[in-house]
Amino acid sequence: MHISDGVLPTSVTLGGYALSIAILAWSVRRTKSEELPKVAVVSAAFFVASLIHIPFGPTSVHLLLAGLSGALLGSSAFLAIALALLLQSLLFQFGGLTALGANVLMMGLPALACGWLFQCFKGRTRTRQAIAGGLAGALGTALAAVILALLLATGGEDFYGVAEFALAANIPVIIIEGVVSFFTIGFLARVKPELLEPGMGLTIQNPNRNEVPNP
Amino acid sequence: MSQVHTIHLPLWQLGLVLAPFLFFILAAAGLRRLLHSQPEAGEEPDWSVPKLAGSSGKSPFHRWDVRCKILSLLVYAFLIASLRHLQPALIAVGVSVFALILARTPLSRAAFRFLAVSGFLSMLLLVMPFSAPAHAGDTVLVFGGLDVLGFNLRGLAVAGSIAAKGVAIALLSEPLLNTASLPVTLQGLTRLGVPRMFGQMLLISHRYLHVFRDEARRMAAAMQVRGFRNGSQMATFKAVANFLGMLFVRSFERTERVFDAMQARGYQGRFPETAEMHICAWDVLFGLAWVLFGAALLAFDLFWM
Repeated sequence: MHISDGVLPTSVTLGGYALSIAILAWSVRRTKSEELPKVAVVSAAFFVASLIHIPFGPTSVHLLLAGLSGALLGSSAFLAIALALLLQSLLFQFGGLTALGANVLMMGLPALACGWLFQCFKGRTRTRQAIAGGLAGALGTALAAVILALLLATGGEDFYGVAEFALAANIPVIIIEGVVSFFTIGFLARVKPELLEPGMGLTIQNPNRNEVPNP
Repeated sequence: MSQVHTIHLPLWQLGLVLAPFLFFILAAAGLRRLLHSQPEAGEEPDWSVPKLAGSSGKSPFHRWDVRCKILSLLVYAFLIASLRHLQPALIAVGVSVFALILARTPLSRAAFRFLAVSGFLSMLLLVMPFSAPAHAGDTVLVFGGLDVLGFNLRGLAVAGSIAAKGVAIALLSEPLLNTASLPVTLQGLTRLGVPRMFGQMLLISHRYLHVFRDEARRMAAAMQVRGFRNGSQMATFKAVANFLGMLFVRSFERTERVFDAMQARGYQGRFPETAEMHICAWDVLFGLAWVLFGAALLAFDLFWM
């Protein structure tokens, strides 16, 4: 969930902005400058992917894809998530303007953590990569939910109940994201395993790129 | 008062409390369906083409210098977000609605923004009164003797002020962000100190967002034609995961082609800036007016409430 305006104390929103900008600068410096347009394109793909409804009982959930983007993009994931959230603000805005810094932190930090963990544990076999991907997806959403609860709790004891509710409501999302990430990484391991290398695989020239059909 | 006022009400009156929420959820779903059923083709201008001199609208927001607009409305947003009580927040909502009318942006976009924030805010409105701890001087409604389900009216007031603030700033972001074309807005951000590369990346992302949305729609149609039904089974998750994976593979490969194409057309790291920006006294005064109004509201909230 994205946090709206007016929920967090102003010190938290300003601090969120400051911290996000600092980590963003780090993420930009870790990305090669000629890769930056490519990160922008991939960020758009993640944005579209996060709009997909997955039905869950009577309602539907949207995937956060924080863990998955961390697994695929590594340290550029923070930049991609910041771009995607800014685009959301420009287009239709799930979260607040003043809370944008806090929202970027909430999704970006788990992405970085899960990306690093995925690269550590991914191994060589497809099954192991898929399992690592599933765990990264689930953990990413879990961490995001925890950060969300912590941010809400900074508002004082009135917000503790809301924080607990937000945590509990995110549990089905965590499970679904774990399952979907498992299958997605498994798919990528079969179809284009060089995408799972650190550094996005974009630095590796795709030898097939002239013969990929574009429908 | 040094004690909590407890008002005991019969259990069926809990329905009276929950009914507005149910009504709101149904109204929001209906509004969403209404907005989505409107034809999309041809309605939204093609932001990927930079606008040349002049802006398309005539309202004060369209004519406002982008840098002054962003700076002053952002400061105003932070001031409004710091309010604590319900009445100043409702005044802020009124001001935002007035700004919307003044800016003459399409109503459907403002409705979309309202709907987008309404999910989180309605969750807050529902959960907070039931979970806020009872302080001395609060009024708690207890239904049917269920002490655990105490409805704290102070919690409702807090949640209400938050909801009003959220809606006010969400509605305000429409005149803020939609009264100039995207390249111009980003150029204004760059002139304010945001690194140029960030604005360029946003332009590229925005452009390819629409490309990927079309591709996702085509893939979804292909899946449906092959018998995919959206349900909660494992087969759905596997199909969605494969869909996502294919989307990523296509996007990764597209970035290679995009970058080659850009370089072939002479891209050397920056898009040309096409907007001319002048600041006149009116821009600064209008911005100052917003900031001062926000500060006045905050002072009213702090000292008179």
